[in-house]
Amino acid sequence: MIRCERLVHVYPGGTQALAGVDLEIRAGERVAIVGQNGSGKSTLVLHWNGLLRPTTGRVLIDGQPAAGRRVAQLARIVGVAFQDPDRQIFAGKLRTEVAFGARNVGFRGAALQRAVDEALDLVGLRADADANPYDLGYSRRKLLALASILAMATPVVVLDEPTTGQDAAGVARIRAIVHSLADAGRTVVTISHDMRFVAETFERVVVMGAGRVLLDGTPAETFGEPAWPALRATNLEPPLAALLGAEWSLGSTPTEAGLVAALAEARPRA
Amino acid sequence: MNPSAVAEPSAPPLTDADRAYLASLAPPATSPYQRLNPLTKATLATIATLSAFVLGGYLAPLAILGILVIPGALAAGALRRLVRGAALVSLPISISVALVSIFTRAGTTVLFTVGPFDATREGVDFAVQIILRLFVTAMALGLFGLTTEPHAFVVDLERRGLSPRVAFAAAATLETIPLMVERALAIQAAQRARGLDTEGSLGARIGGVMPLVGPVILSSLTEVEERSLALEVRAFGRPGRRDLLWTVPDDGRQRLLRWGLVVAFMAILVTRVSGILTPLP
Amino acid sequence: MLELRSVSYRYPGYARLVLSDVNLRIASGEIVGLVGRNESGKSTLCLVASGLAPGSVGGVLTGEVLIDSMPTRGLRPFDLAQRVGLVFQNPNTQRSGVTATVFEEVALGPVNLGLPVADSVERTRWALDTLKIEDLADRDPAKLSGGQAQLVAIASILAMRPAHLVLDEPTAQLDPEGTRLVGQALTALATTGSALLVAEHKTDLLDRLCSRVVAVDGGAIAMDGPAASVLGDPNFERLGVERPARYRIADEISAAGLTVPGAIP
Repeated sequence: MIRCERLVHVYPGGTQALAGVDLEIRAGERVAIVGQNGSGKSTLVLHWNGLLRPTTGRVLIDGQPAAGRRVAQLARIVGVAFQDPDRQIFAGKLRTEVAFGARNVGFRGAALQRAVDEALDLVGLRADADANPYDLGYSRRKLLALASILAMATPVVVLDEPTTGQDAAGVARIRAIVHSLADAGRTVVTISHDMRFVAETFERVVVMGAGRVLLDGTPAETFGEPAWPALRATNLEPPLAALLGAEWSLGSTPTEAGLVAALAEARPRA
Repeated sequence: MNPSAVAEPSAPPLTDADRAYLASLAPPATSPYQRLNPLTKATLATIATLSAFVLGGYLAPLAILGILVIPGALAAGALRRLVRGAALVSLPISISVALVSIFTRAGTTVLFTVGPFDATREGVDFAVQIILRLFVTAMALGLFGLTTEPHAFVVDLERRGLSPRVAFAAAATLETIPLMVERALAIQAAQRARGLDTEGSLGARIGGVMPLVGPVILSSLTEVEERSLALEVRAFGRPGRRDLLWTVPDDGRQRLLRWGLVVAFMAILVTRVSGILTPLP
Repeated sequence: MLELRSVSYRYPGYARLVLSDVNLRIASGEIVGLVGRNESGKSTLCLVASGLAPGSVGGVLTGEVLIDSMPTRGLRPFDLAQRVGLVFQNPNTQRSGVTATVFEEVALGPVNLGLPVADSVERTRWALDTLKIEDLADRDPAKLSGGQAQLVAIASILAMRPAHLVLDEPTAQLDPEGTRLVGQALTALATTGSALLVAEHKTDLLDRLCSRVVAVDGGAIAMDGPAASVLGDPNFERLGVERPARYRIADEISAAGLTVPGAIP
């Protein structure tokens, strides 16, 4: 679905943000990209809808090179939900705001209405469909910004730091959205600092550092003990469940449920 | 307990090393002209501009250029940049002035005719004089802009009595533009990611104005609220004078120069208004 | 001592009480964590505790807010600025935008208070030193990482030497490295005797940092006690906040009828 070949990106001014990235993401995968600030995560993702173009190397979206295709065209395939909702909200009603993206990619009439309603349902804002976006708090505005990307029905959805500023209910909702997108066969990619959210929701973790891919595997592989030196070199800590699993010699247990299950297998009931 | 009372000043006096460090925080000056106090540079620019307009003719504005502006530009090593910038800025107005005056100024000597309009020598005369004055203005103000760090100017004004709140507002306004540009670019990226076509037809681009302008305004407003609360917490609203970390030096010679310029301008004004001396050609 | 007595508050133009009958006391040297779901009144409580509401924001406050036994009613924020400071979550909105170096940025607070230069310099150095960011002194405040910018924001408030510091989700927009830096800074701060109120979603951070945790729900105080007992309370999740990982995991293990093989750090 998305392929990057020897992707290098140097910003005007000289900073090399990507130092040669080879990455392939297959349709329907749930992938998390992690790494400290400055590791190139956002730069990488912005090549997928054409907002950035490679300095050298190439990007293929759905089998075709991204080069030569306009952002508006690529946005029909890869929908990117940015971190700051206030850098995109402009409508007076939630409904209008959500419809913007969908209309841009060609939805009209009843189909548009349906896309908007479904997106608002997914994020739990259907009841506020006619409210003004700025009557919502910041965390719900983030959900609104996400809804406007979901309504575009893109095969690939990219979420940039979706859980920052969200409380427990908000995080649970994001998790549910990721699963429902994956169930519908869509590809979901996230950038996140929340290692637990990543371990529990995604099937593949790509660890980036200094513009390169350092690790790429399942949460069990990337949060397992052999990977810790590489993680720590990029200022990341594995989730507590992984740390405990290693400490208690239970193998690699990146998720809390996995840790409990491994413990149950290893020990007789108390 | 008086809530506004500040804790008693208790720090030991500054060492020479401290003073040197604080002085190093001031914006660096790369030429003798830049080292002049901002008020001096502002006075030069203002007097030059006003004189050019008060004095008529061709010689006077050129003289002002030669005496007040060009030496400063040379001392600052900015002459070429200044001339280019001033020409660029004054060009649009100059063209419209020229077109209007050449053909509409009442005159007797007709040079050429375009349709129903006569181009008179008096009109050309008038146009050239106006353009010259505009150019001198652009040069004088441009020199000030190129050689004065805005923050240093605001700090100097505050030392002379400008209210800290006004000083802050002025300084913050100057910083706003790069922030707004950065914000506008981020907004454009987000909207393009939602399918807004900025590379397509003109009609599409016109339709894209609201989704680009709207968030710029709205997000600026929401940010303004949090920003102003953050400023309040740092006592920006407190009335009263401030003891600033660094100041821009001034000296007797510059003071003399400034007063000298003002007096000279007064003299010019008087002679012009009263008609004592004949105007220069 | 920072004290709220029977405080209720509503924003200007709104009828709904965002805080109702809040009683809270924070003594010098305490680090108190504040948790609550979104829109439970956490941020409003921070604004009220720092005097910005109603002082700058307006609205109607009933009850009393006292700083060192002095009522704050009717005082403007610049009056309170040297007694209680507030740090927000967005490092960019806290940057004044009028300074070229971090040193000048941090010194702005004391300078605004009208202090002589020698005092401003001393306080600035102290603030940079306490947060261990002396090496940032000559940097451009606009070109720092999120974590560094937030430390500068905290230093800028600290330089005013407030006795109390309120922080509203200071690590929300930071990466794990930035969060760690801010956590370290707050620990260092508490040793100087300041009273800190830290509102956060990251309960793991509060678990390490705070001696006491207060929970807000629907504008009222729902829990107030030692960090271990509040964060470990089985009813904690009803507040809509995630518990620290170690409590969650310990509970999941015992719910499965198993025992914990060793201490959970």
